[in-house]
Amino acid sequence: MINVKGLKKSYGKNEVLTGIDMDIAQGEVVVIIGPSGSGKSTFLRCLNLLEQPTAGEIHFENELITARKHDIDNTRKKMGMVFQHFNLFPHKTVLQNLTIAPIKVKKMNTNAANKIAEDLLHTVGLADKSKAYPSQLSGGQKQRIAIARALAMQPHVMLFDEPTSALDPEMVGEVLEVMQKLAHEGMTMVIVTHEMNFAREVGDRIIFMDAGQIVEQGTPEKVFGAPSHPRTQDFLSKVL
Amino acid sequence: MKVCKSLFALCFSVLIVFLVVAPMASAAQDTGKKIVVGLSADFAPYEFRKNINGKDEIVGSDIEIAKRVAADMGAELQIQDIAFDSLLPALDSGRIDMIISGMTPTDERRQNVDFSDTYYISRQVIVTRAEDTTKFKTMESLKGAAIGVQRGSIQQDIAKGIEGAKLSPVDKVSDIMLQLESNRVDAAVMEGPVADGQVLNHPDLAITDIQIPDSDTPMAIAVQKGNTELLGQINKTLATLKANNEVDKFVNDAFKLNSGESTGETAEQIKDKPKPNIFQIFWDYRNYYWQGIQYTLFLSAMGVLFGFIIGLIVSLLRLSQISVFRWLAMTYIEILRGTPMLVQLLIIHYGIAQAFNINFTVLESGIITLSINSSAYLAEIFRAGIQGVDRGQTEAARSLGMSYGATMRHIIIPQAIKSVLPAIGNEFVVIIKESSIVSFIGVADLMFQAQAVRSITYSALSPLIIAAAIYFVMTFILSKLLGIVERRLSASDQR
Repeated sequence: MINVKGLKKSYGKNEVLTGIDMDIAQGEVVVIIGPSGSGKSTFLRCLNLLEQPTAGEIHFENELITARKHDIDNTRKKMGMVFQHFNLFPHKTVLQNLTIAPIKVKKMNTNAANKIAEDLLHTVGLADKSKAYPSQLSGGQKQRIAIARALAMQPHVMLFDEPTSALDPEMVGEVLEVMQKLAHEGMTMVIVTHEMNFAREVGDRIIFMDAGQIVEQGTPEKVFGAPSHPRTQDFLSKVL
Repeated sequence: MKVCKSLFALCFSVLIVFLVVAPMASAAQDTGKKIVVGLSADFAPYEFRKNINGKDEIVGSDIEIAKRVAADMGAELQIQDIAFDSLLPALDSGRIDMIISGMTPTDERRQNVDFSDTYYISRQVIVTRAEDTTKFKTMESLKGAAIGVQRGSIQQDIAKGIEGAKLSPVDKVSDIMLQLESNRVDAAVMEGPVADGQVLNHPDLAITDIQIPDSDTPMAIAVQKGNTELLGQINKTLATLKANNEVDKFVNDAFKLNSGESTGETAEQIKDKPKPNIFQIFWDYRNYYWQGIQYTLFLSAMGVLFGFIIGLIVSLLRLSQISVFRWLAMTYIEILRGTPMLVQLLIIHYGIAQAFNINFTVLESGIITLSINSSAYLAEIFRAGIQGVDRGQTEAARSLGMSYGATMRHIIIPQAIKSVLPAIGNEFVVIIKESSIVSFIGVADLMFQAQAVRSITYSALSPLIIAAAIYFVMTFILSKLLGIVERRLSASDQR
């Protein structure tokens, strides 16, 4: 579904990604772990071109999205993204946060968009908040809304950029629960996270990144149970 | 979106109210032959404003002459009241057909315009404070004195000839009176009949016995250079008037009308009449002020509305990825912020007329100037607002597939506007005050009306204080209203 070849990204002289190859299959849940500054967020943000890669190719559903003439807005419709800091639109109600993209981008009519939005709010357990403004919500609620907002576009893949890192500990659970539900429904997901237990539980494949490279990857059992690379072992010994 | 909508709703409702209320100057454009006379209506008895049967009218001997000229030509007469030193540019740019404003044909003026035959010769006098008349008896005694004159006038040239004189040129005759009364100048050079009228209404001032040598100043009508056809017609009319001694009669009648003698009062009675206090002036001339308020609010509302739209566009260009756009926007902003609004106003009103033959009405010129001037300030305000919106907002919107334009329109700009609303409101308040400069080209705004009341009442200060109070009330109410709107808008920020 997503095929990445030789992906590089530098900021000036600082090379953050030094050449990444990765294939993600339909329905797969890929969890990327690694120390801070290892380039995992940058990699994720390259997938929908929020960061412009310096070199390399990315194919999404057999389309070369890194091509010069490619209409990235069209691709982003099919790739939902959830941010560490939620980035809800503060001047819109919860319902409007969910419906603005379907209405403005997909030209969906308001009733249809509202219907989808209300169903999603129900799914994330916040049906009663549709008229609230983001500033009236807790962090966990905000992130569940942000997930619902991305889902409202009915994407083919969901990208999660440290979705629980900015949350108070007691709110992490409710967000992970929503994500777990999503994984069980067969959504293709790429997740950057520090929640190792969660990674082990929902991940089909764990990728350990360090210094802009993929150091090791495999099933959760293999990466967590028997890491082969010393840097993986070192990292896991510190976080587990 | 909601912010945008309610803001525009606010702007438009303000606009509509004033569109209905404001007496548009550009109304009723008739098709018949028309001749436009420019004059500075603060020069009694030649031209001045007078409240006649509750209506503000421009009257005086020059107006009578203008009426004759127009009648002989079979044209409809239209009068434009313009500051004296803006008359020549107005004629030059073709906004007016002729100047009849007690203007003396000097060589300097002849370089730019053509003059008719002389229609009246007036004398010049020196006015001073009543107690100083003994001090100033000869021209020599004026050496080194501070002297008030009307800017760009023949009196200014006379005063320049006085050795060591410190000139203090001002726009309005009432300003000269104010300068005298406040001891800022020692004496003033004035047209004889003008001085007569002023002194009659200012008992603390008097005309000295000084004889100014070679001070007989002829008055003539100015037309655009080379307009011999019009000049011929004017000279024909003037010849008839002079043959019948009618000009002298016009001046006498006008002097009486101005001094109140035509109402049967003697000069003594006028001198003894108690001066109206500020409240009485306000009440008597409330119609003037009310009209001025309408124009001022209309101008400001239009200025802010267009300034808002233009400013938003300029700020987007300023933030554009394309360097040509960025450069253009920056130049636009810097030039407009770096030059005085009065200069911009004069360039738009006279310069554009001369260079491109586009004649905006005074109201249009006023609105254009206020709009582009405030757009430069608003552009920078918007830029700060847009840049102040968290980057994550753009990323979130773009990641949902929204285009750059849609992201700006639906996500960034509404938040930016909300955050800069206090600054925008501030700009509105500033515009209300600064709009007063349009009186310079003759827009009948509050400042203009205050000037008119000054020259009618001979009260130099009170009409200005009334105007100041009105400006204050308007801006104060506006800031309060904006405060309410702001609080409404911030409802979504409540925790």
